[in-house]
Amino acid sequence: MTALFQELAGLWRMRTLLRALTWREVHARYQGSAAGVAWAYVQPLLTVAAYYLVFDVVFGMRLAQGAPTGRVGTYLIVGSLPWMAFCDAVGRGTSSMLDAGSLLQKNALPPALFPLRTVAASALVYGPLLLLLVLAYAPLHRFAPALVAAVPLLALMGLVTALLAWLLAIMAAALRDVVQAVGFVLAIGIFLSPVLFPMALFPVAWRWVLWCNPMTPVILGLQSLLLQGAWPATAVWLALLAWIAVLACVLSLLVARSREQLVDWL
Amino acid sequence: MLRVAELGKEYRLYASPRERFRALFTRRALHRSHWALNGVSFELRRGQCLGVIGDNGAGKSTLLKLLTGTIQPSTGSVWHAGRVTAILELGAGFHPEFSGRDNLYFGGSLIGIGHEEMARLEPGIAEFSELGEALQRPVKTYSSGMTVRLAFALVTAVQPDVLIIDEALAVGDQHFQKKCVERIMAFRENGCTILFCSHSFYHVRRLCDSTLWLRDGELAMQGATEQVVSAYEVYARSRDVSAEALEQPIEVPAANAGAFTPRLGARIVAMSIDETDDADPPLLLGGNLRVRVTARLEGSDEVPQVLVMLEQFQGHGIATDSTRADGARPQRLPNGDWQVVLTYPDLPLHSGEYVLSAYLFDAAGVVVYDEWYQHARFRYVNPQLTPGLVRLPHYWGER
Repeated sequence: MTALFQELAGLWRMRTLLRALTWREVHARYQGSAAGVAWAYVQPLLTVAAYYLVFDVVFGMRLAQGAPTGRVGTYLIVGSLPWMAFCDAVGRGTSSMLDAGSLLQKNALPPALFPLRTVAASALVYGPLLLLLVLAYAPLHRFAPALVAAVPLLALMGLVTALLAWLLAIMAAALRDVVQAVGFVLAIGIFLSPVLFPMALFPVAWRWVLWCNPMTPVILGLQSLLLQGAWPATAVWLALLAWIAVLACVLSLLVARSREQLVDWL
Repeated sequence: MLRVAELGKEYRLYASPRERFRALFTRRALHRSHWALNGVSFELRRGQCLGVIGDNGAGKSTLLKLLTGTIQPSTGSVWHAGRVTAILELGAGFHPEFSGRDNLYFGGSLIGIGHEEMARLEPGIAEFSELGEALQRPVKTYSSGMTVRLAFALVTAVQPDVLIIDEALAVGDQHFQKKCVERIMAFRENGCTILFCSHSFYHVRRLCDSTLWLRDGELAMQGATEQVVSAYEVYARSRDVSAEALEQPIEVPAANAGAFTPRLGARIVAMSIDETDDADPPLLLGGNLRVRVTARLEGSDEVPQVLVMLEQFQGHGIATDSTRADGARPQRLPNGDWQVVLTYPDLPLHSGEYVLSAYLFDAAGVVVYDEWYQHARFRYVNPQLTPGLVRLPHYWGER
């Protein structure tokens, strides 16, 4: 764990640079295009609109008994926006060190800056969307006080995403295939989470698979928060903390093992 | 200002990327080691300029990257006081889609120049790079010369404490090159320590007080520039000279080498150079080359002739002088031996290693009695720094 804390201390000293890099990343994603950063919002908003229109308006589908809410579209939107943010951050974060290879080989910078700035940039882009989500669902439960739990929940989601992106970036620097593998896992990961269907619909014997997905506790928490106005279950918080602990340990190991050679691999 | 202790860098070579990945998780050694740099130590004080020379692949770029902190050392440590600026591969941090001005601010933050400080420095940088209104355009529209000018102006905007230059003096056109050199000289006058890596011996001789010679990742030699550079030149020459050329017989006037008539008792007994130190090869102290050759002709009062040949060590022949051609007469020593003392005053040769041969002739200078071929070797350091082989007597202007 010491390796991880040393890296974090170094990064804290470079926080102004991190801020500059994040801004640069946000601008660079859409630099040269006319609509600029608006493009970042088009896909999530269109997806949300499509879910609402197709499932709630056209099909009028309803979920079975025991589900947090009646309407399918409403249910889908709560899970898919955070999942889209997660995929964006982790997907870009995994290849961030490789993309910044030439920069790292010519400047003395800690490699960890790059996955973290990618996650921060994604957070800057998706943050307003998630906030909008919370505010849009708030009236459903007359602005219940439990909504304040959204803040720590989203903060912990950010932490898990950052640790995972950093870890995967180091692995991708060692073996390029990791980028492809992560893309694949993210594509099917949505089926191994409560985004598309409530946990209750999943066979009991296989529910542990869902807990292997770091976003499962986040989505469960958001669903109970926004669809039922209830404070997220203890299991959610425990699972999140467990994920953070596991990721931190593995990350510390990888950081210590790769510190000397990482830039040489890029 | 800069202290390096036992610095080493090991590159781990894996059979495949899979092995590299596995090495992240297991402790077993799955790699082959390639030590690009091993056991390098030196120290630089304020205002010193150190040159780094060596063959390609000797570890020069690795050393410079370790000093700037771009890569991590495997062994040893680097300590420096103050700001380290490197002029290595200029323009690498620029994003092509952003304007020159935006890249200035971003590039500045990468090297530790904050926003406010950059706002102060911007006019100076713009003026030095002479880009004018091109600063507002995206970097992808720049020519390579413009990119390099902007990068150099940015990197040298703040006076560094340690400046590292890697073969990058050839930036831009002549006008800009001159500005670059002037700026570097100004830094040096202000007490900046400079580390200069180059293949151009002219620049190394002109700019550096001391030099480091790296060979296969290790410190081959370190010391005063002239000594190290001339030693490296000898080494480089010895690699160029083919085996065949080394065996070629040297033409000696009036006789074939090896085809001498060994007259009983006629031989050279001693050959030495005055005023050298005890190193191997000996270094000539002072500016005069004085050669003593002692010969013995038993049972005869014949006055022998002596010929002395001076050649570059494993290089060209330079001069041949004989007592017969100059009408000189060997001196007779009390024990009957003959001795000649040949002096080249104020040796007009450039630094390097040289070798002397002596030939013993009969009185007529026709028959070769003995030869001591390439017997005395010496090293000469000439503080003169211009390139060339000899310093010819000359004058300027019309006389």
